[in-house]
Amino acid sequence: MSYDDETLMAYADGELDAALRAKIAAAVERDPELAQRVERHRALRAKVGGAFATVLEHPVPERLTAVASGAPASAAARGKVLQFPKRGTQVAGPRWRAREWFAMAASVLLGVAISWRVFTPDTGLMDASGGALVARGELATALERQLASNQPADSAVLIGLTFRARDGGYCRSFTVRATNTAGLACRASGEWQIPVTASTTPAAGGLQQASGAIPPAVLTGIEARISGEALDAAGEENAHLAGWKPDAAGAAK
Amino acid sequence: MEERRLARRMIQHESMVTSPDDFGKSVVALLPRLRRFARSLSRNQHDADDLVQNVVERAWRNVDQYKDGANVASWMFGIMKNAWIDDRRARGRRGEVALPDDSGDHPAVSPIDTDTRLWSISEAMGKLPDEQRVAIALVLVEGMSYKEAADVLEIPIGTLTSRLARGRTALAAELGDAT
Repeated sequence: MSYDDETLMAYADGELDAALRAKIAAAVERDPELAQRVERHRALRAKVGGAFATVLEHPVPERLTAVASGAPASAAARGKVLQFPKRGTQVAGPRWRAREWFAMAASVLLGVAISWRVFTPDTGLMDASGGALVARGELATALERQLASNQPADSAVLIGLTFRARDGGYCRSFTVRATNTAGLACRASGEWQIPVTASTTPAAGGLQQASGAIPPAVLTGIEARISGEALDAAGEENAHLAGWKPDAAGAAK
Repeated sequence: MEERRLARRMIQHESMVTSPDDFGKSVVALLPRLRRFARSLSRNQHDADDLVQNVVERAWRNVDQYKDGANVASWMFGIMKNAWIDDRRARGRRGEVALPDDSGDHPAVSPIDTDTRLWSISEAMGKLPDEQRVAIALVLVEGMSYKEAADVLEIPIGTLTSRLARGRTALAAELGDAT
């Protein structure tokens, strides 16, 4: 019985379920070569973890403690005025409020539109065509041209993962900031069809990616379609340069 | 395994925050781990501490986005990952290249950087592709489960696993471990 490296790694990290763990433990008993491979994973983990553990033993610089606890003096000293908002109070002035209201309204509109599968002229980002939602406007442009590896942090549309689906075509996850919508788009017949959308946490600033993970519905959509793993920066760029055409050679059978 | 899960859940429960005051306390308590995570993404402790400060300031500015009951550690690690990537891209756009530390005159401003073992592993990690480096940092340095790390990075578990495996192979080669 042979096990691939990822499985042995997961075994060494204690990430396998009990059944597979027991099987591998038995195999490791019998096979010194297998035992050695597992040991290599453990040794590297111990080495790396141990080396950085020393950071925890050193005192934290005061400048960090001050900023972390929210002490206004340190912020003022650095020439910046930080606000320490209390939950439920208005945070950043009327401009934000207008944007939040807009985002909320747009989000509701989009939600209604999607559930009825009706085109919403207010956003113009998606269009129901032949029973499937299709990306339009800014969203279509971003899906077509924007690279996750090189996109401005403040883009209206953020591209997440790009991957090849089991049918050989490309899919990309995205977030539309203004409408707090995340989704999955897959290239088909020269268009970006959108099989999954979900709302993200309403967020005022640029931290959607940090605070709200990809919504579970989108993640499930990815996991149901992905073949192999997500493309890295080079793979993404190549796919873009090739016009998102399914590559016959690379397509899953 | 069940016990481990239970223990994790308890830890998560402890790090739940219900008020802004609590939030400050949690962030202070997290500082050592934030510094460690930052150190595994940076060339030296000075750069790491700048990253931590940047992240803490971002977190405070956006504290209204923090959801009650969410895990502060995951939230902040996610912010750090984003801040670090933004910073790398900004440097890339400005045409700055991370100079290899081959001169021997490392700015050893922190006593942490005089630790040669840490230094050599940190150098080796600096040669990994960003996505592998972050995966290694979260799992091997921070000790997160694959699920937790995948959540912080907002990627499927399978992608995390494969980045982690490739990162480990590269790192072992870099460290000259046939071990």
